[in-house]
Amino acid sequence: MSDKDTTHFGFKEVKKDAKAGLVADVFHSVAARYDLMNDLMSGGIHRIWKRFTIELSGVRKGNAVLDIAGGTGDLAARFAELVGCEGRVVLADINESMLQVGRDKLLDTGRLGNIEFVQADAQFLPFPDDSFDCVTIAFGLRNVTDKDLALRSILRVLKPGGRLLVLEFSKPENELLSQAYDTYSFRILPFMGRLVANDSDSYQYLAESIRKHPDQETLLDMIEDAGFAQCQFHNMTGGIVALHRGVKP
Amino acid sequence: MPDPTLHTAALAALEAAANRALALSEQGTAVLEPLAGSVFACHCTTPELDFYLHLETDGVRLTGVYEGAVTARITGSASDFSELATSEDAAATLINGNLTLEGNSAPLIEFQHILADLNIDWEAPLVSSLGDVAGHQIAEILRGVFSWGRQASSGLARQVEEFIHEEARLSPPRLEVEDFYRDIAELVMRVDRLQSRVERINRKLQKS
Ligand SMILES: C[S@@+](CC[C@H](N)C(=O)[O-])C[C@H]1O[C@@H](n2cnc3c(N)ncnc32)[C@H](O)[C@@H]1O
Repeated sequence: MSDKDTTHFGFKEVKKDAKAGLVADVFHSVAARYDLMNDLMSGGIHRIWKRFTIELSGVRKGNAVLDIAGGTGDLAARFAELVGCEGRVVLADINESMLQVGRDKLLDTGRLGNIEFVQADAQFLPFPDDSFDCVTIAFGLRNVTDKDLALRSILRVLKPGGRLLVLEFSKPENELLSQAYDTYSFRILPFMGRLVANDSDSYQYLAESIRKHPDQETLLDMIEDAGFAQCQFHNMTGGIVALHRGVKP
Repeated sequence: MPDPTLHTAALAALEAAANRALALSEQGTAVLEPLAGSVFACHCTTPELDFYLHLETDGVRLTGVYEGAVTARITGSASDFSELATSEDAAATLINGNLTLEGNSAPLIEFQHILADLNIDWEAPLVSSLGDVAGHQIAEILRGVFSWGRQASSGLARQVEEFIHEEARLSPPRLEVEDFYRDIAELVMRVDRLQSRVERINRKLQKS
């Protein structure tokens, strides 16, 4: 088997075409408890990371925004307010259960008018060229098998001048923080996963996939290589997460 | 840009406090309606802090980043800002005070009047929302800014300003790292205990 045929599934090497299915299983099994786990995992701080992402998106009234791997719709809900009724927000996720939870949640808050839900794989986005002013992917890129393919697919659907924002776990700048973070993600996360979602394997996978994700500089290079301009990143919380931005030339 | 997490968290907390206070005031957020759409870029020099104040129909929004057009740009120290906020005559304070203003001052003066008329008790909502902020240092800083806005005698104001300045220079990432590390160590111990309890219970269940 050549290198090209395998990919990471957490720390396990699996065949590329098997990964999408495995990832889907993980998220099917956690969908119902996802928001709760998200809060527990990050002590609620993911809301702050997302808030900064929205500030940097520059999204305005009338814009078209795509949130890929949108899960239960945190970003989409806020974007829907910002773009107003002349605008358009698409919440896309590969996983039906996550989309369903997102739809139910947004229905509860009465924000559905300008949001569409599309089941889609980030690698093969089912939208015409030059469709969006902004594309976001929050805590989703690490799950995608061929990240490069996904970045190119995003570039295609962005309008010229449109922005990509990638919010993702990254490499803590400080060794102490890095160790603390590993302890947290490898011991505490899976344990909490078992208590809350009754599924420690899924959270073990999450922890491992965070470790396997490219660090800040590598991801920056990947975004540049895919054809984006004005690429930059901001570390947050000491580099536990990073927000990368690129513009379609 | 330094780590935006604390900055964003602090602005989120302030925004929540301001909106809570507005909602509790007699006229509610309706008073903002005539000014909705105004954006004030605020550059505080001591302590160094940049933010944007957006007035919207349903409340205010505070952001650290904003790339659109602004109504006015205001620069000054925290005490200059607080002088304006508590002034009886905003126009005079803008002319005679230390704040520099670029752009359209009329909406700013109107906003100041609205705030003054509301007679809002800022303290309770502020303190309760600061409980949500991750770093307690920043909460202390904000509490300092706040209480000093009310009591501002010039000597005290200078002391507080120095205090804030020193505090603000403490590198947040380091403080965060240490807090985070302590929290983790604590959590690991608790998880270990919990884990052995779960195992004990499981063994008991299997026996019975
Ligand atoms: C950790 S969740 C993040 C959800 C949300 N963006 C947030 O920040 O809370 C990751 C999401 O990525 C989705 N996902 C995984 N692989 C994907 C792919 N190839 N294309 C689109 N979505 C994918 C999963 O179904 C899951 O909902």
